[in-house]
Amino acid sequence: MPQNRTSRVIALADVTASSRGRGSLEGAKRLLSFGNIGAVYVWIVIIAVFWIWLPDTFPTLETVRGILNNNAVTGLVALSLVVPLCTRMFDLSVTANVGLCNMFIAYLLAETHWAIAVCVGMTLLLAIVLGLLNVFVVVILKIDSIIATLATAALMAAATTMISNDEPINTERLAGSFERIAGGTALGVTLPVFYLLAAAALIWFLLEHTATGRRLYATGFNSTAARLAGVKTRPLQALSLMISALTAGIAGIVLTSRVGAGSPGIGPPYLLIGFAAVFLGATQLKAGRFNAWGTIIAVLLLGTGTEGLSLAAAPVWASNVFTGVVLIASLAVTGVQRTRIRRGARRDPAPAQPAPPPDRTAGPAQQAA
Amino acid sequence: MIAPMPEPGPLLHIEHLSKTFPGQRALDGMHLDVRPREVHALVGPNGSGKSTLIKVLAGFHQPDPDPVASWGGEPFDLGAPADADGRLRFVHQDLGLVAELNAIDNVALVRGYGRRTPVGTIHWRDQSARVTGLLARLGVELDVFKPVGQCTPVERASIAIARALEGLEPSSGLLVLDEPTAALPPVEVRKLFDIVRELVASGMSVLYVSHRLDEIFDIADRVTVIREGRHVATRDVADLAPKELASLLVGHAVDDVVRHERTDALRDAPPALTVDGLASAFVDDLSFAVGRGEILGFAGILGSGREEIPYAVAGALSPPAGGVFHVAGRRATGLDPLAAMELGIAFVPADRAAEGSLADFTVGENITLPTIGRHVRAGRISHRRELAAVRDWIARVEVVPPVPARPFPTLSGGNQQKAIVAKALALEPVVLVLSEPTAGVDVGARSVLYELIRREARDGLGVVVSSSDVEDLVNLCDRVIVLRDGRAVRELGAGEISQASLLHAMEGTEGAAEPNEQGDRIG
Repeated sequence: MPQNRTSRVIALADVTASSRGRGSLEGAKRLLSFGNIGAVYVWIVIIAVFWIWLPDTFPTLETVRGILNNNAVTGLVALSLVVPLCTRMFDLSVTANVGLCNMFIAYLLAETHWAIAVCVGMTLLLAIVLGLLNVFVVVILKIDSIIATLATAALMAAATTMISNDEPINTERLAGSFERIAGGTALGVTLPVFYLLAAAALIWFLLEHTATGRRLYATGFNSTAARLAGVKTRPLQALSLMISALTAGIAGIVLTSRVGAGSPGIGPPYLLIGFAAVFLGATQLKAGRFNAWGTIIAVLLLGTGTEGLSLAAAPVWASNVFTGVVLIASLAVTGVQRTRIRRGARRDPAPAQPAPPPDRTAGPAQQAA
Repeated sequence: MIAPMPEPGPLLHIEHLSKTFPGQRALDGMHLDVRPREVHALVGPNGSGKSTLIKVLAGFHQPDPDPVASWGGEPFDLGAPADADGRLRFVHQDLGLVAELNAIDNVALVRGYGRRTPVGTIHWRDQSARVTGLLARLGVELDVFKPVGQCTPVERASIAIARALEGLEPSSGLLVLDEPTAALPPVEVRKLFDIVRELVASGMSVLYVSHRLDEIFDIADRVTVIREGRHVATRDVADLAPKELASLLVGHAVDDVVRHERTDALRDAPPALTVDGLASAFVDDLSFAVGRGEILGFAGILGSGREEIPYAVAGALSPPAGGVFHVAGRRATGLDPLAAMELGIAFVPADRAAEGSLADFTVGENITLPTIGRHVRAGRISHRRELAAVRDWIARVEVVPPVPARPFPTLSGGNQQKAIVAKALALEPVVLVLSEPTAGVDVGARSVLYELIRREARDGLGVVVSSSDVEDLVNLCDRVIVLRDGRAVRELGAGEISQASLLHAMEGTEGAAEPNEQGDRIG
């Protein structure tokens, strides 16, 4: 079998984990190419621009900490969207889930005398119940995920208002030791940054290194072909919704600890930035696939821009302009690349047609022998 | 000129038409003549270049430089997008209708709604009259306000034809019908022919693309055979015997096939698969067995149930097919794809893009999708083992280029099919079930696939092949079961399988004396 060196290197770098092939020059080139980690280069440009623009305030350790600390919850919300999107499902309820968990744990801490650990456990249980609700509506009732999770998000929003009466919940128990969940620090950054890295590592391992991950991608790319290849597509869709609900629940708890209150309407604003990050992330590292580290890169890129703009005392709307422009630009660039690959497929002759209904009026078959 | 013209001059005349795709010459010096007021059939096996020719005519593909083309003696620009008011009109195989919309809306999708009411809304009475009139030209009457999804197949075809013909002067037009009967049951085919005859009577010419020989003898005046992108012959249908046309199509004597011999050990072994009382939407109480090393074929015209058998056996029908399955002694009922796989049945579905592969996966990931669990060590995929297995399979089925990381759609159709067969074989199945194994596969890859399947059978694999392409069955099978209306009507053994015997058995014309009544058909 003819097998040249370049193809072997590409194979190593791509068909398997992207970390392979780092040993060779070609592999390193590919890893560092603009097509693979373009967002990192854009990120560097953004940093350079703010460095020059704000030489006194931007290039400080304080800014680095600020970017990391302020974007940990955004990152968790974005990560919660990754796995469902791999199976081609939009979970629009994650931020409603974050909001409900925020209000629920604040309520438990304020109104009961349960230990903090119990309150956290109950909230995670709530997140699991919310995940099951999504599974019921999307996987069992087979309602399209966009509409179904929009509906469950409405129910979650209703429950949030029911608990809070649209008033913030604010007691001293929410300060105290509960605050350390998000307020504690290690190596100079707050703990949520480590939760984020841990969640990203888990999702990365699931998607890149387990058979389940491969099957999750297969379900999203072509569920018919996946099913015929023996993949249990529906259970995997259910699994992905459970993972997103649980991640959102964790994000809700961390957020509550960070703000020290149960606050109506605190979850939903994360939806746009979360989706922006996860779609931008899908253009990175594993182009065309939603993936954990690409999402983290995207969160940091968007977070750096937002942080820089706020340091520059730019108008409030500027950060949304930044997010929108970056997202459109990145999707347009990668969209062009993907269309080029797809064109290769179009040259194929048309596939066989599915069976039409047979003519049942033609009478019984003649027995020929 | 004093001498009378012996034949009418051509309406459309094409010479030296070639079309090269990267790595593949789809058309090679093709020529074609369509006379006024004739039904001209264009036939050829899968991958012969029929579709490419139609797409060049439609202006979808640019031909290679300098073809010669004329229309009624005037130069004709090939490869220019056919404009809506051109003299060349097309009805493509899938018809291009929106099932939820009615006939008026479907016509308007292409032609617009025309005159509006004074307030600018659609003039429904006008529109209804217009579309009814268009259909009347074809001798068809139907409720133009009914969603076309609720129309019969032939009504849908007539709506598509009516739409294509609007505004065309009948005496100067050419209508291209691309496999119009592919989705029609036999009774409706007759109705479609009436429509075609009506059109020709009004002065139209029709270029009729088909792979059904019986239809050509029914409807066509002349036929052009295309094979491997080249013009093979153009004949008057009246002077042509069905067998002659079949051999023009195939291009070689069918008896050249080297049949493989099963060893005695395989012959005496218990069957690889037995199926008792298979029942599904189109299959009625069918029982059969496949021996070790045996290649069993299923033949039958469209709608005979032939196309459903591989899906039934592979557990790919929903709800699952009825019947009892035994694979190597293990019993199962109500199969789903995973259960069939665990039983030892591997499946290669008919539709490569929609069912057989994932366009967003690499070649390697496609091959290992069903078997990825076997490469897991300590909870984690061993990418080294996976890559080694992929390399192994790529070499074994001769995927070109042999690069595991290639995006799947960048492979040619034949190489995609080889990779899909590798994916199935990687399961180490007892039985391999193939549906349309060579659809859209070029000639070279086709013989590689045949050899590959025969080789696996020699090693003891039981194989089930269902194909609309008689060539597949003749080349591969030890035994062929012929279906009609969901029942087995004939079984052909090794000595009896030939193009002719299969065609006769499929159409139920065995023993028919009149050559003109033979219902020959080829894929």
